[in-house]
Amino acid sequence: MNTRSMRFRLAVWHTALLAAAFGVLGGLLYATVKEYLYDSLLETQARRARQIAETLVANTPRTGEDYVVREIKLLYAPELGDRFIRVTRANGGVLYVSGPPNDQSFDPAEVPPANAENRAEFTRLERLHDGRSLLIAAFRAATAREDSYLVEVGTSAGPVDRFARHLLALLAVGIPLVMALAVVGGYFLARRALEPVAQIAVKAENITQHNLSERLPVAKTGDELERLSMALNRMITRIDDAFVNSKRFVADASHELRTPLTVIQGELENLAGDPRLPEELRDRVGSTLEEVERLGKIVQKLFALSRLDAGEAQSEWVRLDMAALAGTTSDQMLLLAEDKRIKVTRETDSPVFVMGDRARLKQVIVNLLDNAVKYTLPGGSVHIKVWASGANGIVEIADTGIGIPQEAVPLVFERFFRVDRDRSAGDAGAGLGLAIVKSICGAHGGRVEVESAPGSGSRFRVLLPLASQ
Amino acid sequence: MRILIVEDERKVAEMVSRGLKAERYAVDVAENGDTGWAMAHTYDYDLVILDLGLPGMAGSELLRRIRGRNARIPILVLTARDATASKVENFEAGADDYMTKPFAFAELTVRVKALLRRGPSNQANVIRVGDLELDRLTQQVRRGGRRIDLTPKEYALLDYLATHQGRVLSRTMIVEHVWDQSFEGLTNIVDVYVRHLRGKVDDLFPVKLIRTVRGVGYRLTDEETP
Repeated sequence: MNTRSMRFRLAVWHTALLAAAFGVLGGLLYATVKEYLYDSLLETQARRARQIAETLVANTPRTGEDYVVREIKLLYAPELGDRFIRVTRANGGVLYVSGPPNDQSFDPAEVPPANAENRAEFTRLERLHDGRSLLIAAFRAATAREDSYLVEVGTSAGPVDRFARHLLALLAVGIPLVMALAVVGGYFLARRALEPVAQIAVKAENITQHNLSERLPVAKTGDELERLSMALNRMITRIDDAFVNSKRFVADASHELRTPLTVIQGELENLAGDPRLPEELRDRVGSTLEEVERLGKIVQKLFALSRLDAGEAQSEWVRLDMAALAGTTSDQMLLLAEDKRIKVTRETDSPVFVMGDRARLKQVIVNLLDNAVKYTLPGGSVHIKVWASGANGIVEIADTGIGIPQEAVPLVFERFFRVDRDRSAGDAGAGLGLAIVKSICGAHGGRVEVESAPGSGSRFRVLLPLASQ
Repeated sequence: MRILIVEDERKVAEMVSRGLKAERYAVDVAENGDTGWAMAHTYDYDLVILDLGLPGMAGSELLRRIRGRNARIPILVLTARDATASKVENFEAGADDYMTKPFAFAELTVRVKALLRRGPSNQANVIRVGDLELDRLTQQVRRGGRRIDLTPKEYALLDYLATHQGRVLSRTMIVEHVWDQSFEGLTNIVDVYVRHLRGKVDDLFPVKLIRTVRGVGYRLTDEETP
């Protein structure tokens, strides 16, 4: 999973927001509910405490303490109602304390005395030693004799605490569960929403200068993605136009250059052949003529490239044996190599059939072999190998030449690129030979690769799809 | 011999016509397709050199009309377009030869001469240049009676030079005839073969038959002139 993808980040963000929202909500819920339950429980206790204080304890001077104790037991039966009731005299002596409750939820004897405050009414949460806790409301009952009793009524906080714990547990399990659902849902939602983006990306990836006429899919949804893909399409159209214009310019320019070149070349030839011309001038005319011829060749190559660009790669489309083609071509060029004392070896045993234009594919081999011989020092060797591998026919031309500097390797197929002007001085190619090789390979659905290091030679590899049987 | 040039580029027309006049041909120039058509069916020409990109009547249309009127007149097409498809199209429309600009004038004259002779310039079985002798049936080469062993490519090169003896042949023409079009731009292959050929044919003899014409190419001759 790509953690930097938009759908991942969208899912993370929306999960984080949800987590924060659920967290706050859960916390609030928990705190409020617990608070409310404590409060209402305490209120009940307080009411009862006041009741006991006002109706029973306040009358102690008249009824006597025993009556109060009896009445409390009778009317309130604290043990049965799991309640804690204690009446304490002003001097701290306990007038009455209820017995252990039915459910054994606390031990009344363990409840420490209330702080001898003089407040008339207060509540507290009493934590017992065994970890249990009691909610206690206290009410001070004043009697006619200027005497006072503290009436405490309490009940176990256990049920409320248990409920709160359950709520907490519910939230602790529920929130992550909902979160998980939201994350997964959000991820898929984001993926679905961004699916068109992925499609656009794949399609855009496949658009190169050779298929600029293609366009991205536009989903008629009226949303931002439709706008995006339409904007991209308009951009591709502009790029396409620019490419078409520049190619047309090259085609037009190389076309327009032909006529003046013809005139110059013809006139120079006439001059060179004119017997009245002094020998010294004849030499200079000849030298100019050589340059004109070279210029003519560059123009021709540019024109050839622009035709390849325009997709006019093949004037024929036949099944041909690359091994045989490489064999005959290298035979024809053998003398070039021998002349430089370069040994040419071949490994082209079995036929390797591809589909293509014979003249163009031969041009590929000629250009590569010519380069190999040109950049190999006398005494070196050139090895030609043709074989089939998978779906490709491969022609490899490896030399033991001077090689290509590392930084220049990615550039050798660029038009007009030359490693350095000195080493190809006198070459009419002007750095178009390998560009032509690349164009021809591309037009045949194949490609050309190079491996090279200075001093250890170059290895060019042409890969072409094999012809189906 | 009268030649009609239909070419709208004045300088190209001038250059070609001057060159052909120097070769002692009578040359007329038409600057557009309509004039070309008018002249072609008014006078009797032995050869038409036709540019394809013409104002007025298109070159290909003119080609069709001339061929329609006279089935035998040789037509050499000049064009800046060298797409093979266009080449095939024009041969089918009746062109006898086809040259792409820029071209070597020497090549044009060679082709013109070949078209006017209607056939290879030298069809003899044995060609002699000075004391060099090529037997085209057995492909044997002798000089001064001594047999010279040549590789097939060397023989093809010598044969091409010998059949056009005395005439300058450009490297491009040699490549086109002895190798094929894939070697265009690889004219140094010609120099290498010529050097090897010289080693066998000329080096041991006082008279050098294979001459270099600076900036143009080579010619085979036993004349004394440079």
